[in-house]
Amino acid sequence: MSYLNKAALRSKTGFWPNNRGTIIGVALLAVVILIVPFTASSSMMNIAVFSMIFALPAIGLSLLMGLAGQVSLGQAAFFAIGAYTHAILLQKFEMPGLVAAVGGVVAAMLAALLVGLPMLRLRGHYLALATLGLGFIVMIAVREWEFTGRTTGIYGYGRPEVFGIPIDNNGLFFWFVAPFVLLGLVLALNLTRSRAGRALSAVNDSELAAESLGVNTYALRVKVFTLSAGFAGLGGVFYAYQVQIVSPQVAEFHVSVELLLMVVIGGLGSVWGAIAGAFIVELLSEGLRDLIPAIIPGATGEVQLIGYGLVLILVIILLPGGLYQVVKTAWAAITSRIGARRADAAAPAGAAALPGGGADDGTAEAPTRAFGGLPGEGAASAPVDGTADGDAVGDGGHEASAPVPTVSVPVPAGAPILEVRGLTKRYGGVVAVDEVTLTVPAGQIMGLIGPNGAGKTTCFNMITGAIAPTSGTVSFLGSEIQGRKPHVGAEAGLTRTFQNLQVFSSTDVVGNVYMGRYRKGRAGILRGMLGLQGREQYRHEEIAREILETMQLGDVSGLAAGDLPFGRQRMMEVCRALASEPALLLLDEPMAGLSGREREMLATLLRRLRDAGLTIVLVEHDVAQVMALADTVAVLDDGVLIAHGDPESVRNDPAVIVAYLGTDAEEAEAELKELEEHA
Amino acid sequence: MTDFLQLTVAGLSQGSVYALLAVGLIATYTVRHVVNIAQGDYATLAGLGSISLVTAGLPLPVAILIALVSVTLASVLIERLVISRVKNLTTLVSIILTLGVSTLLQAIMLLIWGAEGKRLPAFPGSDLNLGGVSIRSQELWMLGALVVVGGGVLLFYEKTRWGKALRASAEQPVAARIVGISPAVASVIAFAIAGFVGAAAGVVSSPIYLSIWSGGLLLGLKGFVAAVLGGLVSFRAAIVGALLLGIIESYVAGYVASGWKDAVAFFILIIVLIIRPAGLVLRPNAVRV
Repeated sequence: MSYLNKAALRSKTGFWPNNRGTIIGVALLAVVILIVPFTASSSMMNIAVFSMIFALPAIGLSLLMGLAGQVSLGQAAFFAIGAYTHAILLQKFEMPGLVAAVGGVVAAMLAALLVGLPMLRLRGHYLALATLGLGFIVMIAVREWEFTGRTTGIYGYGRPEVFGIPIDNNGLFFWFVAPFVLLGLVLALNLTRSRAGRALSAVNDSELAAESLGVNTYALRVKVFTLSAGFAGLGGVFYAYQVQIVSPQVAEFHVSVELLLMVVIGGLGSVWGAIAGAFIVELLSEGLRDLIPAIIPGATGEVQLIGYGLVLILVIILLPGGLYQVVKTAWAAITSRIGARRADAAAPAGAAALPGGGADDGTAEAPTRAFGGLPGEGAASAPVDGTADGDAVGDGGHEASAPVPTVSVPVPAGAPILEVRGLTKRYGGVVAVDEVTLTVPAGQIMGLIGPNGAGKTTCFNMITGAIAPTSGTVSFLGSEIQGRKPHVGAEAGLTRTFQNLQVFSSTDVVGNVYMGRYRKGRAGILRGMLGLQGREQYRHEEIAREILETMQLGDVSGLAAGDLPFGRQRMMEVCRALASEPALLLLDEPMAGLSGREREMLATLLRRLRDAGLTIVLVEHDVAQVMALADTVAVLDDGVLIAHGDPESVRNDPAVIVAYLGTDAEEAEAELKELEEHA
Repeated sequence: MTDFLQLTVAGLSQGSVYALLAVGLIATYTVRHVVNIAQGDYATLAGLGSISLVTAGLPLPVAILIALVSVTLASVLIERLVISRVKNLTTLVSIILTLGVSTLLQAIMLLIWGAEGKRLPAFPGSDLNLGGVSIRSQELWMLGALVVVGGGVLLFYEKTRWGKALRASAEQPVAARIVGISPAVASVIAFAIAGFVGAAAGVVSSPIYLSIWSGGLLLGLKGFVAAVLGGLVSFRAAIVGALLLGIIESYVAGYVASGWKDAVAFFILIIVLIIRPAGLVLRPNAVRV
């Protein structure tokens, strides 16, 4: 089945196939939840209630670890803040249950915001350490503070009531908390598949590439962290109701370890896994508390820790993906076996077409709709009707007549789109880029060339925000972006590709290009959680597929991005950058690793994009290619801009010849001759 | 004034324990980029182990020597059996993993030695009294351990060819190989050092501060706070930070309330991370964070 049929199927039926797994899963879980109180023994019921309560902070932690790629070692702190706030509001201020519960959740989220805002600016493990510290601070604070009841804690508040029914036994309490767990589960699942969720998973693959497509990593991480604390706070609210006394024990470090264990067992980042993990850990905890004193007489206290430690180590070493990975592998094995049986039964023709037979797909169902026909957002979008381009170098009629992706044209051709002034980068005493000043006019291809180590890529990185300049300014469309993170420029329409490929390896080819659409989407975390962005997502996914189709990558859209041959990965990166409908495209050595034919294709594409109004800057080693392609050429040597002008004048500039070819006259002559031939 | 000096002395001796643990943490962090949450448990393990040996009738120096060697070996064993088994060990995963190790060690200690804290007999020596400020001989032993063991590790890492190669092996595996150190060997050496330093901290502090199964975590984390003050790379800055931390804790316990003492370190941790993630290091490397 070609992808187009699949896509058509999907866009017609939309909601059901995309949410089938979730709906079936949640329905099954709901049935189990309904039945459990009728069948479980009282000790089992106790375990069930606590696993439901702890599932909430575990879901939150799983989002934090899976999406934001961060670990909180103080999830118990937010749990405790929720529990204490709730209990205090009930007991000391006699507030209604609902208000107190909201208070508990909000307090936990505020605490997270306070810690997250500074910590998430730092990379890696700092949040883990800060939350660990926060855990101890919260535990000590509630123990020492009169207001929180010191070591005794807070008690003497009522049980919850729902429609006048007091929730006073485990069975009822289980039904009381379970709907919130189900709701939390659905919201979390929606989030992982939303625009924000996809963006964060792209960040985990390549932060730089994601940011260069407009993802504000920091803001998203702060939001996910705050949300994760909200889940913990809600768990704390139920905990306070269930145990009827909130004491400093709730903030103890081993509670955080327990929560971490739930997520690790369940599988990092798997929301379902977190719920399964919660149940397993509660079961393990009860079991070990009975088992260990039986084996070792006289053992008392927190003996279940031995199991926690062992399981944590073993899972990370032997099963880094946790239960989720086991289930996924098993499921894949089952479906592939069933699939094989079905394929045997069906006619051989029904077998999946091999990638590579793509040309058939392309001609059979070439997209008929012009790209520009889509409702464009923001600046004027120039639809390209694909009128023939004189430069099209013998690449068949297909190339010349196919439409090219939409680009934005915010300023008329010839007006300055990018202005770089006095751009300098020093590393210690070494000057990598020295006072580079140049203006890029819109609607042109500019080539940036220079010998190895001339500072081309450094220049590039400063313009795109990957590194901050020591001094100098970069202004794009009139606003200064130097030293800002890459997403700032990307949001305004400046996108790049990378010399060393930065593909999002956890998704397929279409998923990569779809990420390029990030800038054109609007749905935030809230909309994502509520699942209210389906239509927006389908539309962007459709566009991503169409772009792949025009770029002759349609046949591989379903493959894992890392499985493509190098040249096609490069093309995919270009597709991804183009999907964001940029105004300025920066290509870092786009020709490297491409075959001759691929180079010609790319060159043709770039010319046609330029004619559509896109401004392109490319760094390239292949001087001949640049000279043939670029409208203007800038030459860097030793970090200094030594020449800038049209290819003809640059080619004859003595400074350039010396810089490029050293002083070896013979070699210089040979190289020159080669250049002439190419021109 | 006497109170103040007395608290300062107490703070310095406690700080020397944090300093030793910080040295151990940096030893493994610089080589493997592992944040070893179990570092403090080495100290408890050595403390409890030597107490058992002394109770069994061995002379104190022999008991201590056996404890030091065993814990060093235990740390190497942990490296071989646990740390080295994980491919692509990021710092984040290392935190979760060593948290598991720490939890396991604690549970084992709980099962073997029970829930009560125990004390090693004081080391030989007589207490000093300087103008009303009394200094216990054990406190001098603690500071002495920092000078000898901590100073030794510092000199090894900073002055010897092997030590430098060890530090380089995280960033420059090839350079380290040239000197003849494979990453695996470097990692084992680093964990051996961490184990030895942790054990030393545990035995010298046991007579005053007790050894209790669950005590290692908090101890290790405070060592960690000190290591963060050293930007996780500088031994010197971490040692200074650890001593400062000990003194501040001591003042808080003396002048504010002893219950809040343990929270101080974490307030410092969060404040330092917010204001100056490079810690007390004067010329932090240009790291893009």
